[in-house]
Amino acid sequence: MKPRVAIFDFACCEGCQLQILNMEEELLELLSVIDPVEWREAMSDRSEDYDIAIVEGSITREQDADRLRAIRERAKVLIAIGACATLGGVNRLKNHFPMAEVQKIVYGDAAAMPHLATMPTRAIDEIVKVDYKVEGCPINAQELSRVIRALLAGSAPATPDYPLCVECKKGENPCRYDYGEICLGPLTRAGCNAWCPSNGFWCFGCRGLLDDANVEAAEKVMEQYGRTADELREKIILFNTPREPGE
Amino acid sequence: MTAPRPDETDIYLPRPATLIETESLTAHERFFRFEMDAGVELSYRPGQFLEISMPGFGECPISISSAPSAGGDRGFELVVRRVGNVTRALHGLEPGDRIGVRGPFGAPFPVEDALTGHDLLFICGGLGLVPLRSAINYVLNRRDDYGEVTVLLGARTPADRLFTRELYAWKLRDDLVLEETVDAADPSWGAHVGVITKLIPRLKLAPENTRALICGPPIMYRFVLKELEKQGMSAEHIYLSLERRMKCGVGKCGHCQINGLYTCRQGPVFKYADIAAVREAI
Amino acid sequence: MPQKLIDQSSLGHWVAALIAEHKVYGVQAKADRFAFDALTEADDLRLDHDVTILPPKKYFHPPQEILLQFDREAMTFESVFHAEPFILLGVHPYDMAAISQLDKVFSMDHRDRHYLARREAATIVVCDVQTASPEVFAGCMGHATMEGQSGHDMLLTLLDDGRYLVDPVSAKGEALMGPLAHAPEADQAALQARKRVWDRNRRQLQKNKLKMKPSELPGLLAGSYDHPVWEERAELCYSCGSCNLVCPTCYCFDLRDELNWDLRTGRRLREWDGCMLRGFAAVAGGHNFRARRADRYRHRYFRKGKYTWEAYGEIACVGCGRCISACTANIANPVEVFNRLLEER
Repeated sequence: MKPRVAIFDFACCEGCQLQILNMEEELLELLSVIDPVEWREAMSDRSEDYDIAIVEGSITREQDADRLRAIRERAKVLIAIGACATLGGVNRLKNHFPMAEVQKIVYGDAAAMPHLATMPTRAIDEIVKVDYKVEGCPINAQELSRVIRALLAGSAPATPDYPLCVECKKGENPCRYDYGEICLGPLTRAGCNAWCPSNGFWCFGCRGLLDDANVEAAEKVMEQYGRTADELREKIILFNTPREPGE
Repeated sequence: MTAPRPDETDIYLPRPATLIETESLTAHERFFRFEMDAGVELSYRPGQFLEISMPGFGECPISISSAPSAGGDRGFELVVRRVGNVTRALHGLEPGDRIGVRGPFGAPFPVEDALTGHDLLFICGGLGLVPLRSAINYVLNRRDDYGEVTVLLGARTPADRLFTRELYAWKLRDDLVLEETVDAADPSWGAHVGVITKLIPRLKLAPENTRALICGPPIMYRFVLKELEKQGMSAEHIYLSLERRMKCGVGKCGHCQINGLYTCRQGPVFKYADIAAVREAI
Repeated sequence: MPQKLIDQSSLGHWVAALIAEHKVYGVQAKADRFAFDALTEADDLRLDHDVTILPPKKYFHPPQEILLQFDREAMTFESVFHAEPFILLGVHPYDMAAISQLDKVFSMDHRDRHYLARREAATIVVCDVQTASPEVFAGCMGHATMEGQSGHDMLLTLLDDGRYLVDPVSAKGEALMGPLAHAPEADQAALQARKRVWDRNRRQLQKNKLKMKPSELPGLLAGSYDHPVWEERAELCYSCGSCNLVCPTCYCFDLRDELNWDLRTGRRLREWDGCMLRGFAAVAGGHNFRARRADRYRHRYFRKGKYTWEAYGEIACVGCGRCISACTANIANPVEVFNRLLEER
């Protein structure tokens, strides 16, 4: 029997779901091995009976955290997809400011309304246990399809533990540093095939910093390029605002 | 460089084998007996390893645990600890299921030449018993070719001991001395407690005539070697089987290098004298 | 074999004729750099390139290739070999030296049919360097020219008078000479002119200067295992493997399986790996036998200057300078490292 799969979204742009829809012919292959039971962007059915939950978006409200906990309870396997879900995403930038200020800036006079209550942004794994992650903003659908196939075959899919430079070099791209740009490739987890550098952009770090990212080295290296450690840090926090200790 | 011939072996091509028998040894380790298809022989030596394929999951190096028989072998035995995708998949196999096999690879223990006629001291830490069992049973099958045989065995706890029935049979033999120790005992445990090195000074070794065969976790070697040297053993008479990431098995992929040595080709069994000065070895 | 002299326009016609009949890969511009790629227009060929981002090893040992197809229900495995003939145009002598080194690695002991099949399918046209790259030191490594080297099928040299000397050195190379049947044969003067190009290249391809003979490297490294340079330089190392990946003599790889959507059939892939990457020497149980950056950093230099020498009689550095340019942290210049070891011996 095909596993029942539900796709849920939280605070995000829903671009990762769109990546799945954009799989085109491969989407039919995907549907040959799974049975989608809830997927707001693609179908009207809803269900509380599923094996695999695919979760997009970050958690920014208490009621979302509750909903996520309920999803976790029902799912045998939970996959977090996209930078919002795995890191907190760009949304996490708001954690640098007091919540009241954030609310006021976004909602103005309506900020006090109860349904607009907000809390510091959390990645999915800060609320519930996550079994697998597909990183990226947006995700690479090829990677998601690889993860799903591995999972269905009984294998634990692995995310690369080496920097993006590996894929960038294999793709024979010139290095962005040669053009005076600050690229986060040397610090960022690979797996996207160096999508941005292959299209002439620096790496924004959307797949998260490596466990052993040599940030100290990067800060020193900036000098060689006439850039500062502060400029580097500004680039890093876009997707990698640190998780506050103790929270 | 000569062009490849159409009939030339593809060194990456596994051959199928069928699971005949499997048994759980501990919470994490399982025993397997496989057989190659009819007409296919492995002809392995004690200490060699195989690259085991679970297609879709990958391939991993696993020591052969059985002793080769005189007439060549279709069958072989493995012990597999569940640590990754391939080994988890292996643990799910049932008799009749099939796997892919490449090998055997690597340098074996010199059971046929340098070891014959000598007293043998086997020092096995944890999973280290797996490849050494191949050598021990090879020796027991030709018992008259060797002198005294001593087996030192260390395990974390009594529940982590492998091949308990076989160990019992060894214990009953009068031509083999088996000494066991565990890091942490339980009330049923009647043998030694503590690190395996503590067993060495108790032995009445004849250092010139003894040959030591060692396999265990990376941390173990340094201490065991120190103790053996203290007992007067020469580095020329000590053989170690080392674990590394032997990905291709054929000296190409680079993962198993110990400085300049390929563990899959020059090892996994090394004479200590050959690697004493190799900095990454021990 | 007849050596011919042709002008630039004849060269263009000749390349066009090759493209019409064969699969041809040649050096072309890629943004403001150069790269080998499928050649469809003779005009796109850039024999004046200084260095390509990746070396031509990618045609023999690709970044990713399928080694096997499998069916896990039937437990069958089938080798996949790539043997479609092709011509490689514009390989520099130092890169040819690296290919010859890979030939040794993949044909000694356990012969690697996947590599050998691609290699056998290739006709390699080497072109003497016309523009020195900013970091090249092939002149220090003995690989500035093809003198004393082999493995190629043809050598092209741009002489100072603007003509090319076309020198086929194998049957495969001679087979490409058809369109040049009526071109004049190279005379002694042309061969002398080529020697002048070689002499100049030997001098000019030394943008970094190694202060010793390459054959002294194994001995130098033998006494440098505990030198502080490894720790010092590794402090800035990202462990990104860029130096490995752009290196023409690096060949380490990983094997990985991928399943098709039927979850039954799939393929085993070979992918480039690098000894600078953190997980390179880690085993399944989790133990990492080269967990420290400095240990990985040192390993690379020892492989280049000592281990490969011991195993294959070759220094695994041809002086292309790619690692120097590819290293964002600017710690990968082997000449700097080796010279410092020499000075502080």
